Amino acid sequence: MPKQMNFIVSKNSFEEFGMMVILGTTGAAMETQMNFFFTFWGIFQLKKGYKPGVAGMPFPFKKLGGAMFRKMLKGFGYDDMWEMVKDGVEEGKIKLYPCSMTMDLMRVKKKQLREICEEPVGAAAFLEMCDNADAVISL
Amino acid sequence: MVDFQLDAKGLKCPMPILKAKKVIKKMESGQTFELISDDGGSKADVPPLLNKTGCTLVEMKEDGGVFTFLIKKD
Repeated sequence: MPKQMNFIVSKNSFEEFGMMVILGTTGAAMETQMNFFFTFWGIFQLKKGYKPGVAGMPFPFKKLGGAMFRKMLKGFGYDDMWEMVKDGVEEGKIKLYPCSMTMDLMRVKKKQLREICEEPVGAAAFLEMCDNADAVISL
Repeated sequence: MVDFQLDAKGLKCPMPILKAKKVIKKMESGQTFELISDDGGSKADVPPLLNKTGCTLVEMKEDGGVFTFLIKKD
């Protein structure tokens, strides 16, 4: 059985997005199944065109901080961060699960989410997935 | 002579790992791969990648912050 790690993404910040991309792509490269469950504010990460702000920066600079970090990471040789994730999704090593209840709570429609997402799942489905996981981590 | 070479200088974590994995996927058993990286994290990051992808680290050299890994596919 390949190793499996499951992550809960509950915030809409650039920091959470960055951890998802870096850990997700690296885990996939290491042949680990990387599953992400997007709940509460985390659901916004999956919306098409959403650009997360930096939680660690003071209020007026949050969005600017996101653009700044993205530019710096490009200088580190990063490709477009969603394109990096897409490779892992296409290999089946990264799976992005929107939380179904959150979508109703936050009034997010499925058509607003990126096509690379899996079908939305509820708490029971995610927890069953965790039965077989080697680690479950809340980002 | 090595079968594959990748100069990943200037790239930072996790890019050397992700680019190296793309090369490893193309390798056949017994083939060799020279990876060069100046990311300080590579020293600790490359061996775990090799463990998980059926490769052996034949040799690692360090020269002024530049790491050269000689990798062989099992």
